[in-house]
Amino acid sequence: MENMIYILFICMVAPLMLSLPLIKKSSRGIMIFILIGISTALFVSEVNGVFLRTLDDDFLLVTTTVTPVTEEIVKALPVLLYAFVFTDEREHLLTASFAVGIGFALFENTYILTQTAVNVTIEWALIRGFSTALMHGICTAAVGFGMSFVKKKKKLFYCGTISLLLLAITYHGIFNMLVQSESLKYFGFFLPAVTYIPLVIGMVMNYRRMRSKNAKQ
Amino acid sequence: MKLYLTANIIGFVCSLFGFIYGGIYYFRPRKATYAQMIALALGCNAFGRLFYIVRLLTTGFITGSVQLGFFGIAGSFMFFFSSNFGTLDSLLDDRSKTFRKYRLIALAAPAVFILMYVLLFLTADIRMMWKILGGVLTFFTVLSTYFNLKHLIFPDVDLGVVKCLRPYNFLVLIYAVSVYTECFALSRDDAVLTLVCCIITGLISAAMMPFIVRGLKKWRT
Repeated sequence: MENMIYILFICMVAPLMLSLPLIKKSSRGIMIFILIGISTALFVSEVNGVFLRTLDDDFLLVTTTVTPVTEEIVKALPVLLYAFVFTDEREHLLTASFAVGIGFALFENTYILTQTAVNVTIEWALIRGFSTALMHGICTAAVGFGMSFVKKKKKLFYCGTISLLLLAITYHGIFNMLVQSESLKYFGFFLPAVTYIPLVIGMVMNYRRMRSKNAKQ
Repeated sequence: MKLYLTANIIGFVCSLFGFIYGGIYYFRPRKATYAQMIALALGCNAFGRLFYIVRLLTTGFITGSVQLGFFGIAGSFMFFFSSNFGTLDSLLDDRSKTFRKYRLIALAAPAVFILMYVLLFLTADIRMMWKILGGVLTFFTVLSTYFNLKHLIFPDVDLGVVKCLRPYNFLVLIYAVSVYTECFALSRDDAVLTLVCCIITGLISAAMMPFIVRGLKKWRT
């Protein structure tokens, strides 16, 4: 079906936008960033389409070399704007960037689902749901972390953000390559979880340590 | 293919060791951002190597087209640059005339890499892709090595930290030469030289974090 991606975009974005005034202020921010993530996914799909045509429809080359670069850069732009204009608080930036990544993955997954609806299984849904969404969230959050230095340490912001962007691009490239290979695809499915779980454990441990320190004081 | 695979596995394991070691040691609140950046540099290198490993296992080649793993390895220099330029340099160098000679001498490192780029990549009879990749790598190494050489020769005036970090800065300079030589070897499809460079880079990557830990401990005591 022609214009499927736009139809899907409208179907997803319209109800979410209509719900915005009714949502609590604290949750509204996250919802806005999910919407931004969905919009960036639509934009990136057009950019990737141009690259795919330019590179003679070499799907493997484009998905393992070009799309990680375009996707990570475009996902980082709204977070960069947010860091510059609104706040450079790390907690806010991490939440915002993770929401952008999740919104992006949400739209990407739904679009792929419509394109391959005949072949999809519960296994596919579990894999796409957990691994791809997590991967997009982690990559954008990593870049968002670097942006938290935007006002505090300007020097570190410029070089740190570029460095983290390069790290995210490489990570994204590894993931795309793993999930497309026949023999190694299961490593790809678990890669985001292997990254995410130690991060969460580390954050919880830090939080507990800080809390017990504050309680002692 | 086997030599390339072995080379990158060595590089990956050593960098991962450095990354995990640094991660456990420094990724806590109020720990030195300087060391965190170095740990991330090793992580970036590890991911770059992992990309190459996966590429070799899936398609069997890494020298035919542009690989994102290359940007992972080049990205490690950006982190080394961030650690020195973003956190330490402004504390050491007040831009006064006293330190001008150190700033000028430090330019020798970027000059060497630019010269190497002209001789080994720009004027050589190789594919355009490698000339561009060589240029990208030169850009990142130039940024990083300037500060590494500067902090290697810089006088320890107030803080005392420069002296403690000298071994680390020296290691990064060797790391830069080794990675640069590896890029040269890849552009010529020389698997043996790639393996040698990966072993050197790997050993340095594994040694870097213990040197940082020791250096920063020594400085505090």
